[in-house]
Amino acid sequence: MVNTADQLLQKLNSLQSRREFLQLFGKGLGYSALATVLPACGSSSSSDNDPDVPPPAPPPPLPAASPEYTALKRISFGPHRDELTAIRNLGISSYIEQQLDHLNISDGTLEADIQALFPLTFQAPVQLLAGFPDNIFDVATQMIAATQYRQMFSKRQLYEVMVEFWSDHFNIHLVNGLGPTLKPIDDQQVIRQHALGNFKDMLHASGKSTAMLFYLDNFLNQAVAPNENYARELMELHTLGVDGGYTEDDIKEVARCFTGWTLRLPGDPDADYGEFVFVDAIHDNGAKTVLSNPIAAGGGQADGEAILDLLADHPSTARFIATKLCRRFISDNPDAATIDAVAAAFTASGGDIKDTLRAVFASSAFVDSADLKFTRPSEYLASLVRALAPDTSYPADNGLFWFYAQNTLGQLPFYWPTPDGYPDVQSYWASTGGLLNRWRLSFLSFSGVIPGLDIIDIDYASMLNGANTINAVVDAITDAVLMRPLANEDRDIIVAWLETEWMVAADEPQAGTLPLQAAALLAAVLVSSIYFHLR
Amino acid sequence: MTTNIAAHPTIPADRDILVCIFQRGAADGLNALAPYSDSDYYSERPVIAVPPPGMAGGGIYVTDDYALHPSLAPLKPIYDAGNLALVHATGVPHQNRSHFSAQNLIERGVVEKTGPNTGWLGRHIAQSTAASNSAFRVISISGNVPVALTGADEPLAIDNLNDFGFDQGILDSGYPQVLTDFFRNAVPFSGPAAAALIAMEELQSADLSTILPENGALYPDTALGRKMRQASQLIKSQLPVEVICVDSDGWDHHENLPTYIDQSLTELADVLSAFNTDMDIGMARITVLVYTEFGRRIGENGSAGTDHGTGSLAYLMGGGVNGGQIISDWPGLDTGINEDLQITTDLRSVMTEMLDKRLGGTDVGTVFPGFGGPTTVNAFLT
Repeated sequence: MVNTADQLLQKLNSLQSRREFLQLFGKGLGYSALATVLPACGSSSSSDNDPDVPPPAPPPPLPAASPEYTALKRISFGPHRDELTAIRNLGISSYIEQQLDHLNISDGTLEADIQALFPLTFQAPVQLLAGFPDNIFDVATQMIAATQYRQMFSKRQLYEVMVEFWSDHFNIHLVNGLGPTLKPIDDQQVIRQHALGNFKDMLHASGKSTAMLFYLDNFLNQAVAPNENYARELMELHTLGVDGGYTEDDIKEVARCFTGWTLRLPGDPDADYGEFVFVDAIHDNGAKTVLSNPIAAGGGQADGEAILDLLADHPSTARFIATKLCRRFISDNPDAATIDAVAAAFTASGGDIKDTLRAVFASSAFVDSADLKFTRPSEYLASLVRALAPDTSYPADNGLFWFYAQNTLGQLPFYWPTPDGYPDVQSYWASTGGLLNRWRLSFLSFSGVIPGLDIIDIDYASMLNGANTINAVVDAITDAVLMRPLANEDRDIIVAWLETEWMVAADEPQAGTLPLQAAALLAAVLVSSIYFHLR
Repeated sequence: MTTNIAAHPTIPADRDILVCIFQRGAADGLNALAPYSDSDYYSERPVIAVPPPGMAGGGIYVTDDYALHPSLAPLKPIYDAGNLALVHATGVPHQNRSHFSAQNLIERGVVEKTGPNTGWLGRHIAQSTAASNSAFRVISISGNVPVALTGADEPLAIDNLNDFGFDQGILDSGYPQVLTDFFRNAVPFSGPAAAALIAMEELQSADLSTILPENGALYPDTALGRKMRQASQLIKSQLPVEVICVDSDGWDHHENLPTYIDQSLTELADVLSAFNTDMDIGMARITVLVYTEFGRRIGENGSAGTDHGTGSLAYLMGGGVNGGQIISDWPGLDTGINEDLQITTDLRSVMTEMLDKRLGGTDVGTVFPGFGGPTTVNAFLT
């Protein structure tokens, strides 16, 4: 057992060298691309932006959790003991209103702490370029850790859920050419700025985001030979959706509208690197037609602005955004009536994200669809910490263990290579490998079987509160960690297991450390169980 | 020493082991196998075209019409030995240029959004007779099950076969058994959960760590290289694997295509060559299919790249391939339809023939519903 722990720690430590990191992080793509500062974006198999999502499977037969638990599980990165108390006291709708008003939620010293711990995440492109490419490792780890810290420790949980949602919607692969110098400001000024604001504002900000212009090649888009990459993904992924009613000709015309939208490249004498600039000389100033709308000749930068307005206001966009929000908060295959209601709220409010979310939360589908969603890895990881160690402080390793954990689980923030963002459907995440990796993480981190990997303090003694029989331990830990009831048959399984493990009877009081050991082992099982993976 | 996979006791007599490599991102076929005798090729691609054989940086002569990209040089000896065929101007005629929709359609083996939600390979596997009860019949070497494999009974998705399982301390704790019990009724999770635990046991007895590349085969230390090295370990382990899927990422070359496709093709060629060398005479019972979701536009764009198009190139490797030939009914580059390379060989014809001749036969109506043939293009040996 000691050998195992040594080996694991050794492995983790050895991975901390820069070369290993880059190998891991580059996923073998060959980092020579950096020298040319040009992106190459790949593509991967997923399809939740496509309507052909496999049909929903019947839900597992779990005893119902409380409505407060279910609501909290969906609007946060996992129920925290204190938040469960708060939502019970306030009522679900008042609690959600409080969460929507995120700027009035005190977050203590969290943002100041993140600024101190991860300063690169706040730097402008010109500052980051000065250290590039040597700073890629630091930018990446800081961006990822800052995201994880906010997901785990922020009290503005719904806001952070929406930050993740829009980070996927307007996905940009961080480690992609100049990406590490450009994505941090996109995260601040596009995603975090507008996550609970107005969709049209966010779309315009994203259109001028130099990280996006770089990632989707629009910085090279010019009149003599347009590059269609941004035009296509703008309509397919950011606004209308693939069935939103545009044609191949519309893509070509939209590409023409965005010719000349580019950024100040390294060495530009006129302005700071990384700023948005419209270059009229390479803009196609001819007349265009987009979705049957004429765009008059000579519009310059206004062509692109008009397209962003047109797309933001289009009914297909309302429906597409509504579908994705319902998929996030309700189920993989939300019903048409709910999508219609949410789309109507989007349109009526002019793309106000809070109003649109209110329609999601007010729907009967939101109430009636408990346990239909499988948690994604980021949520799983954060919910482990929030459930098991609600009072923990930041880990001594600045989140490095969580970085590796999330890499293994397959959802490292800002690391999905293609512009569609991480999938949000169970069929993608509930694989053999995905489950095994979750089990290993749960067990290694929280069972107490392998000392040294439990990087945060878990106070099993206070969870037990004096419980000293197997029966009492099971009930106390279930209540503290799961916060929802177990089926009797499942409770019987774990009681029998612990009885066998320690050769004691379930109702026999135990002295010494046995209750604590049982609590740790049991916690690992509970967070590996299906109860913990669903919301 | 050479592993004689041809005499592998776990390969059923009626079928090869199939390895499918999906090039994600829409690989450009026109620079991988350059139609250098077509003058439009050079007028449409003034910056990025592969020069004719014999010129500086020129392609590798294959026929009077086609030259391989120089980075594909490692494939030429395999082609010459008759173990590699190239299918040009191919694809599934789905009329879709979104990566995500097109991948979904081609993996489902359909041309319209309607039709089965399962994958073409998954349906083939489901209608074929199981040659074993192993969890390893069908596996994707990745973290997630690709659409192509859905419909098969619990396809595995494991990204690192050399690190899949629990340590002894965990096994000793009884944790795996309690997990098994815990998931037993948790549909739909009971399937993957049980498969994970069975696969773990099978892998422990197979002990892949002792299985090394042979015959001097050198897999590049890249994502695809590592995956195909695992495919090799799996095949040699004598676990009764029938179908292995791996992804090759990063083919969406909208800009600076010459630089990026050189990297991508180098990796692909080095990996296929290493695998061929490693498997050696075992290739008699292995078929490798390399395909992508669609090709690129004929003309280059203003960023020395190419935008989304239609027809592309597929690669077939193995002893059962009718190799040493380029299968193509060349459509020309002056078709004027959407500025694309037209599809003249339906990839479903190639796939159907492969399943018929090398995978023990199939039901084409189930695997490719609505597909009217042809069901052979003379790409495989019987």
